[in-house]
Amino acid sequence: MWTAPTADPDADLEHALGEWRRYRRRRRIAGVHWVDALYQAYITALIAAVALYLLTGVVGDDRLAPAQIADVVRHGDDWLGVAVALALAVGLRSGCRGGPLALERAEVRHVLLAPVDRTTALRGPVVRQLRFFAFVAAVAGTEAGVLASRRIEHHAVVWAACGVVFTLATVALAYGAALCAAAWRLPSPAGTGLGILASAAALAGALDVIDASPCAWWGRIGLWPERFDAWGLAAVAVSLAVLGVGLLRVGDLSVESAERRSRLVGQLRFAATLQDLRTVLVLRRQLALELPRVRPWVRLPVRGTDRFPVWARGWRGVLRWPIARVGRLVLLGVGAGLALRGVWAGTTPLLAAAGAALFLAGLEAVEPLAQEVDHPSRLAAVPGRRGDVHARHLAVGVGVMAVTCLLGAAAAVLVEPSRAAVAVAAVCVVPAALGGVAGAVTSVLSGAPDTEDAGWSLVPPEVAGMRVLVRSVWPLVLAVGGTLPVLAARAAADGGGSPWAAAGNAAVGVVIGFAVVAWWVRRRDDLHAAWKAALDQAFPDKRPRSEEVAGG
Amino acid sequence: MAEVADVADEPLEPVLRTVGASKSYGDLVALAPLDLVVPEGQRVALVGHNGSGKSTLLRLVAGLLELTEGTIEVLGVPAGASDARAVVSFVPDDPVLYDDLSVREHLAYVASLHGVDADLDEFDDLLERLGLLERADDLPARFSRGLRQKTSLAIGLARPFQLLLVDEPFAGLDAPGKEALLELLDEAHESGAAVIVATHDPLYVERVDRCVALRDGEVVHDGPATVENVLQLVGA
Repeated sequence: MWTAPTADPDADLEHALGEWRRYRRRRRIAGVHWVDALYQAYITALIAAVALYLLTGVVGDDRLAPAQIADVVRHGDDWLGVAVALALAVGLRSGCRGGPLALERAEVRHVLLAPVDRTTALRGPVVRQLRFFAFVAAVAGTEAGVLASRRIEHHAVVWAACGVVFTLATVALAYGAALCAAAWRLPSPAGTGLGILASAAALAGALDVIDASPCAWWGRIGLWPERFDAWGLAAVAVSLAVLGVGLLRVGDLSVESAERRSRLVGQLRFAATLQDLRTVLVLRRQLALELPRVRPWVRLPVRGTDRFPVWARGWRGVLRWPIARVGRLVLLGVGAGLALRGVWAGTTPLLAAAGAALFLAGLEAVEPLAQEVDHPSRLAAVPGRRGDVHARHLAVGVGVMAVTCLLGAAAAVLVEPSRAAVAVAAVCVVPAALGGVAGAVTSVLSGAPDTEDAGWSLVPPEVAGMRVLVRSVWPLVLAVGGTLPVLAARAAADGGGSPWAAAGNAAVGVVIGFAVVAWWVRRRDDLHAAWKAALDQAFPDKRPRSEEVAGG
Repeated sequence: MAEVADVADEPLEPVLRTVGASKSYGDLVALAPLDLVVPEGQRVALVGHNGSGKSTLLRLVAGLLELTEGTIEVLGVPAGASDARAVVSFVPDDPVLYDDLSVREHLAYVASLHGVDADLDEFDDLLERLGLLERADDLPARFSRGLRQKTSLAIGLARPFQLLLVDEPFAGLDAPGKEALLELLDEAHESGAAVIVATHDPLYVERVDRCVALRDGEVVHDGPATVENVLQLVGA
């Protein structure tokens, strides 16, 4: 008869855990081949060298004039404070989602469910992760310090030392905040809100809207060689205090969040490695516990929807979106609008930011279509081409994006209201929406497993590599394309022409471009079949092995 | 219904007590407020449809999930607290195992985390009964679903416990494995532990003292039940 073993009441469980962890680490290290380790070191050194080269090129070597140095001293701390605030926001968000640790799933099940002191059990993984972040921060701080010494007086060692203190203090603050948020079970909206508040305050300080933000204290550390400030010391003390509290409370983390995180983060990293944006998006939603609402915001009538089932299905899904997704879409829309306002004012590179925001919003907007793509077997049972169903889904995506872009247009106009701004914004709403949807739908469909894709295995690796690159960048290019009417309007306004007319002409081009994308969505399978047939005809001896087997 | 123990005759110390215990995800209710008392040494079958709340209840008791409302106590201490973790053994329906530990090492590791100073061959009897002895030095991460399930069961039994929670243990097991498991669960019960098994398997329902049926997160039956009762209750 089996009886459960008896526990020794005097057993030192934490010591046993430590022994087993050491045993596993020794075995893992013994399993690493020295060639692999050398290769990893080589790749890391190569990437670091390329990054240093590029940064040196960006920063330049010319000494700054005294007036420029005064400007750096006056505003530098505020801008460094923005970086600190962003790091803090990332830390808080991570902590609210069970981070910053992403434990091995078996550790959650077997160690955190054992009567081992959790603070002791988690200290090891926390210290290892913190050590890694501190190393990266120290390297970055040193590099920034050396680069700063080339433009401003003082010895490189002094700048590097201050750079290291600044980055380490930032990491300590962000990591400590993440640990505290996890230990105190800070709700996600509260963590996100605090992060946004800190970032907004830091940005307002940098733009001189307010005198200074608290995050500028950390920024002052980075400027110590030029002007020593005791507030920097206070920032270091605060960072250490936050980190200390976080380390002391690490055992209070939510096991539920830790398990969810351990399950999803591994998949998330794998999907990111494969550049599978759709999977990353879905897993990120699961990590944030972003579930559809049980009760829709508005209940659609059942009668009358049978004539347009795809349209009705799309809106039913959209009307169950959780508040977080709606809020994200509003933020992305407003962000795109403000970036385009910046383009209108003359900052052309903001087109990329606007395009990226529209692309991300588009990925949310085409969710009903993306779900069809996630489950290809559903449409396999439906008579007709799946492309027809996919194309019909575009209408809902465009509708959602039109509303989003309308909010963006309102935000852009409110910055500095004028009749011209209203006219241009009104013209640009539809093309921006179409660009976002075009980019998103291209990304979603291109990332999907393709039943007719066998032909691509026949092309040379160089061509396949280019294809991968184009597939990664092309959706973003399409989204940026939707913002070109703003550029056209600006050019017309600068040349004394009618901006809204120029925007209208460019908008026609965008609409035509979207029609081409919609046609591609509808006829994609036919195009792939034709391409495969052409390749088979061109290379009759190079059929994939799987086909030969299948064909007997 | 076979061997129904009359627990009313002799009140036993509750090993598990839930009061208004509920779990929700936003507006989705996974487990409606539940009051449940399980005395020491009782065998309980937890039955219900997929999504009825069985796994949620077991995970709440194990401390893997956090309550939305109510309380759960194991031997008088809140579920998930250190003292509760020392006496609750949870065997999940999704075995989670280390990639780099063999079956024997898994058992010795988990046992040592519970204060059992065990040699690597300490649990060979248990492994033999589950048909795992020949694979004891292999890495279970590479096993089939059934063998992983057996490894998970062995881990759950290789440590001290007074409350054994087993989630869908028969899924993926071959006939000898199922028989061995039924015997081991009986022996765990005979040694004084309370055993709660979430299952759809009528064979186990016939062996238990009590059957708790859940439907959509709510208890629709609590007490002795025949297989026919259970099938009727959960509509299987």
